Amino acid sequence: MIPQIDIGALGPMLPVAVGAILLPLAEVLMARKRTFLSRPFTQERRGTFLAVASLLCLVIALIISVNGLLGPSRVFNSGNPMIVMDGVAHFLNIVVLLGASLTVLGSVKYLADIHSNHGEYYALLMSSVLGMMFLTSASNLMMLFLALELMSIPLYVLAGFRRSSLRSNESALKYFLIGSFASGILLYGMAILYGMTGSISLAEIGKRFDPESAPHLLGAALVVVGLGFKISSVPFHQWAPDVYEGAPTSVTGFMATTVKVAAFGALMRVLAVALEPAAELLYGALWVMAVLSMTLGNVMAIIQQNIKRMLAYSSIAHVGYLLVGVIVGTLDGYAAVLFYLLVYTFMTIGAFTVVAILAKGGEDRDRVEDLAGLSQSRPLMAVVMTLCMFALAGIPPTAGFMGKFHLFRAAIERGIEIGDTSLFWLAIIGVLNSAISLAYYLRVPLVMYFRDAPPTSDPDVPGFFERVVLLTCLAAVVLLGIVPDDIFNVLSQTAASAQHLLLLQSP
Amino acid sequence: MIEAWEYQVVAGLLFMIGTLGVLVRRNVIVIVMCIELMLNAANLSLIAFSRQWGNHDGQIFVFMVIVVAAVEVAVGLAIILRLVSNRDTVNIEDTSLLKW
Repeated sequence: MIPQIDIGALGPMLPVAVGAILLPLAEVLMARKRTFLSRPFTQERRGTFLAVASLLCLVIALIISVNGLLGPSRVFNSGNPMIVMDGVAHFLNIVVLLGASLTVLGSVKYLADIHSNHGEYYALLMSSVLGMMFLTSASNLMMLFLALELMSIPLYVLAGFRRSSLRSNESALKYFLIGSFASGILLYGMAILYGMTGSISLAEIGKRFDPESAPHLLGAALVVVGLGFKISSVPFHQWAPDVYEGAPTSVTGFMATTVKVAAFGALMRVLAVALEPAAELLYGALWVMAVLSMTLGNVMAIIQQNIKRMLAYSSIAHVGYLLVGVIVGTLDGYAAVLFYLLVYTFMTIGAFTVVAILAKGGEDRDRVEDLAGLSQSRPLMAVVMTLCMFALAGIPPTAGFMGKFHLFRAAIERGIEIGDTSLFWLAIIGVLNSAISLAYYLRVPLVMYFRDAPPTSDPDVPGFFERVVLLTCLAAVVLLGIVPDDIFNVLSQTAASAQHLLLLQSP
Repeated sequence: MIEAWEYQVVAGLLFMIGTLGVLVRRNVIVIVMCIELMLNAANLSLIAFSRQWGNHDGQIFVFMVIVVAAVEVAVGLAIILRLVSNRDTVNIEDTSLLKW
């Protein structure tokens, strides 16, 4: 039997793939002494051109994804599907593409500032985005592994993009070692799952999985550990602060947001489809991971002096909040995770962009004191940073509050429904942790508004592209806080349709 | 005649050696070799399971993993090369600028 292949289902990936292939070529052509315009491009103009070109690809992909979200779900190949483009995949792709677009816009001036304006940056970024898009839609272990590697390997290079910087080197090395180690664990888990069930399709595994048998559970545990490394949840988090601090700031923003979006997509699909029979046992383990992530992330963030490091610990804490939605496992829970991922992307990229703008003369300025007096010198940046911090802390009426509200509401409703007190505790610990997080989030606006700048400080002016990023994040953080109900209802339906499709998919 | 489970024992042993190596060794090159060992343990396991089940999914998977492993080594060695030229060491304990 020849399987029917629907190339059109891959629509959103095509522009990104074309971009990833053509951008290095364009860079080489423009770097020649004699170009078709008979004069060479300056490095700065080359960077701007490549950024605009990759932005174009991302926006085309974004438009196709939005169309896909509104249309019916599609499957790449019938029978034993490898890629399922359902509502969840389309929505997560949209979030990934938004995050990537903002990163591209925020990188142009930053790369010049740190003297690392190399053209391959954008090609690597696009390859990574391609991997993320496949990761959100993979419904087969092989596709999942390939997509995960396609996402991670360019990121190892990007983390070490400042070739002569020792910190960037170290960040890349740590990311590479831990990332490949995690891939090895994940792969062995996949091999065991395949061996026990005889299939690499998630839906088939879900049907044949036997939660009573030890090898089955070992495979499931290894897969969850591998993905746990990728989302950097405690106790698999130690790499995150080091990698985030050492990597170039624009790359850190990208790693902290889009990677988590894609990895959470994969985690939800694996847990809800393939490992569904083992739900009770695994959710016990995830419960511990969620509580530890929230608590340790927030407590460690309090003592940080470096903003990037502080945001790294804060991202670990946010993984804990997001895991709450995964553990709840209802449609509302999944919808809350999707919504929170969208909100989290905007607030985190906004904060990292402000830090990126401050970089000057080949050096990052990423200590909390470097922000002193920013409200007088650069009011827009101070406002964006303040709002992002409020949103990350979950203060109403920002988007962050609504995101957390939906997550914890889903947990409590489910807890009442099945009479499970552990879900109540999860919500309570989450709320307490939000209170702890105020301690370090509020320090940032405090320094910006109530401490005078040192006389030598002269923060950089945001360029046009960076202004666009700041205003977009500002608008998103405010608007998603005011009108979240409509979006949330749409997401609920999306999750419902996706679940429907996945359950029907199994041949 | 080698039984199917014997392959799994070898694969499991290889995987454990690889994991232990990553955790205890301090030379970056050796750590990368141990990671490769982990991937190849999974490969062996996949091939043996594929034979056992009589379907080709596992074998195709192995080809993909071989490619990924090659790419990982290429990128990893490039990163290690930068480390050596910047710091003149392959000992993981010397890379400790970033902590806490």
